Amino acid sequence: MRLKEPGAAYSSVHYSPPRAGGTLEALNLTRRFGDRTVVDEVSFRVEPGQMTGFVGANGAGKTTTMRMIMGVLNQHGGTVLWNGRPIDARARSRFGYMPEERGLYPKQRIADQLGYLGQLHGMERSRALTEAHRLLDRFGLGERAKDRLETLSLGNQQRVQVAAALLHDPVALVLDEPFSGLDPTAVDATVGLLREYMARGVPVLFSSHQLDLIDRLCDALVVLDSGTVRLAGPVEQLRGARPEQYRLVCTADAGWTRGQPGVEVVDLDGNTAIVTPADAEARNQLTRQAADRGMVEFARLRPSLGDLYREAIS
Amino acid sequence: MSHDTTTTAAAEEEQTTQVSAPWLTVMNREIGVKLRDRAFVLSTVLTVLGIIGLTAFMFFMGERTTSYTVAATDPQSVTVAEAARDSAEDKTTLEVQSASPEEARELLQNEDIDAAVSRSDNEWVLTARNSMDASLSGMLSDAAKDVTAQQNAADAGTTTEQLTAGSEVQTRTLSDEPDRGVAANVLGFVFAMLFYTAAIIFGMAIANSVLEEKQNRVVEILATAIPVRHILYGKVAGNCLLAYAQIILYGAVGLLGVNLLGRAESIGWILQASGWFIGFFVVGFAAQASIWAVLGSLASRTEDLQSNTGPIMSVLIAALLVGLFAKGTWLTVASYVPLVSSVAMPVRMLTDTVQWWEPWLALGLCAVFGLIMFRVGERVYQRAVFQGGQALTWRKALRLER
Repeated sequence: MRLKEPGAAYSSVHYSPPRAGGTLEALNLTRRFGDRTVVDEVSFRVEPGQMTGFVGANGAGKTTTMRMIMGVLNQHGGTVLWNGRPIDARARSRFGYMPEERGLYPKQRIADQLGYLGQLHGMERSRALTEAHRLLDRFGLGERAKDRLETLSLGNQQRVQVAAALLHDPVALVLDEPFSGLDPTAVDATVGLLREYMARGVPVLFSSHQLDLIDRLCDALVVLDSGTVRLAGPVEQLRGARPEQYRLVCTADAGWTRGQPGVEVVDLDGNTAIVTPADAEARNQLTRQAADRGMVEFARLRPSLGDLYREAIS
Repeated sequence: MSHDTTTTAAAEEEQTTQVSAPWLTVMNREIGVKLRDRAFVLSTVLTVLGIIGLTAFMFFMGERTTSYTVAATDPQSVTVAEAARDSAEDKTTLEVQSASPEEARELLQNEDIDAAVSRSDNEWVLTARNSMDASLSGMLSDAAKDVTAQQNAADAGTTTEQLTAGSEVQTRTLSDEPDRGVAANVLGFVFAMLFYTAAIIFGMAIANSVLEEKQNRVVEILATAIPVRHILYGKVAGNCLLAYAQIILYGAVGLLGVNLLGRAESIGWILQASGWFIGFFVVGFAAQASIWAVLGSLASRTEDLQSNTGPIMSVLIAALLVGLFAKGTWLTVASYVPLVSSVAMPVRMLTDTVQWWEPWLALGLCAVFGLIMFRVGERVYQRAVFQGGQALTWRKALRLER
């Protein structure tokens, strides 16, 4: 008896998708425009099969970083590594990329241009068209394949753009704001599709302003502010690195917590206190005291990514 | 297990196969898009129809036979009319009837005849219904003069031959070659127009196609798939091929027409100049193709193209004017200026005698110019095409970094 290998489920399909993606890494990437340093020594890793959210205010340098990763822009310092080696054009040609300002031919038929993009990525035209139809069907756009792109609504154009990035079985995905302008159904459809690629080991780097979406989707996070990385790493690790916070609710005023040794009170509001005990001992003492004072609730607070983000850039 | 590993490796290998000549794919798209462009197809079809129409018209004008019917009211007039008939040119026939003055009048009224000739007193009278046909009047007048002169000579005991002896005038030119005046002018005009229109139609097509990709950021996706310069190569190659195919189509239709009409033997000298024109067209168009691509990459909106194409348009208009009007030293100088030479040298070959090496030198200069523009264009294009926002100049674009 043999164990199924990862990806074996796909081997019955008429073409063979890559079984493994790789690790994408930015190492001290730096870019200046004139005297302005827009991206300053930016380093982070995107692990295989993981979705990494790239957050930052407008002008923080996200798009510039992504363009450097894709080779659209040259860097003034640092390197982009693919599986530990400096990336070259050959490797990049197997990436899927979605630029910030959308990039397709407005006046050309959708199937035609997807076929063309596939060909440029080294696919047979017929295979590119088959794949294009499969992806368009996934987005409910199968009927529109022969229409000119400009006749589609903006949301649907965006879906075609996603299809364009996925067409050639990319080994890595770099997506600049892939979800902006999509309705919740389309977001789910896109996420579902991306997860299939991630299951094969494809690393995904995507930027977004929607923190709740990032909270829901991401395995790892990179926070960029004024061109520098403020926070980077797996989400669980980032959450864990933060001092543990608890919410304590009592039947009476919770002001007494201020006098507890080894306990820092972050916030106090009537019967409710947000506290950070220095260690397990301090926490135990706190709960014992609280039990005597009519404790109603004692709960660990999981920091949201929004909290992490705001903390990182403050 | 090992079997599976090999399959995976093979799949990986297949995945990494890059397009060997991506510019060919770009070129094919460029041609495909243009061939499906209705405006382009329509203008090509219309031009072909125009060429067919023009050839047919010239044939019609050449083959047209004119026939006149003339009534003569007295024996003397019959002599005149018959003399006119006998001296009529190849494609003109003249039928003579005898008629009484009254009959002649009626025939004229009914438009059965074109004119009536009669002798009254001491002069000839030509009568028409409304207006006298100029060439008919000329034929009859000449005949009347000849007949009268012969009679007068006979009356004076001599002959017309004696009277007019030594009065013949012969025309000579310093050059031995047959006169090409009008035909050469027409051909010069055709060359100039063809080059001018093709340069603008396909030049603008290149510029617009580059701008479209820049404006819509498609170029960013393309650049991650293939080297950027291949986009430029593909566009230039695609539009050059289309321009050549079109000029060859026009030429072939024209030649076919001329052959069908059986006039091929009289146009040998046109063929020679036309052959050179096609050579110059090929080099001249290729030389400017990269300039148009750069102009497209420098613009940020379609409106920018109107202003930044100014210089190249001036050069093309200069080429057009040279083709239409230039002579002498001006033409000689123009026949060596790259781009302008594409019209000027073939025109010069129609009107002057040129040394065998002259067209080759002009062609070489144009090719060198084209290569330089291509190299510079490649550098500018690769930088400018990623710089949206504002229109750039060549100088600014060269200082940019990607």
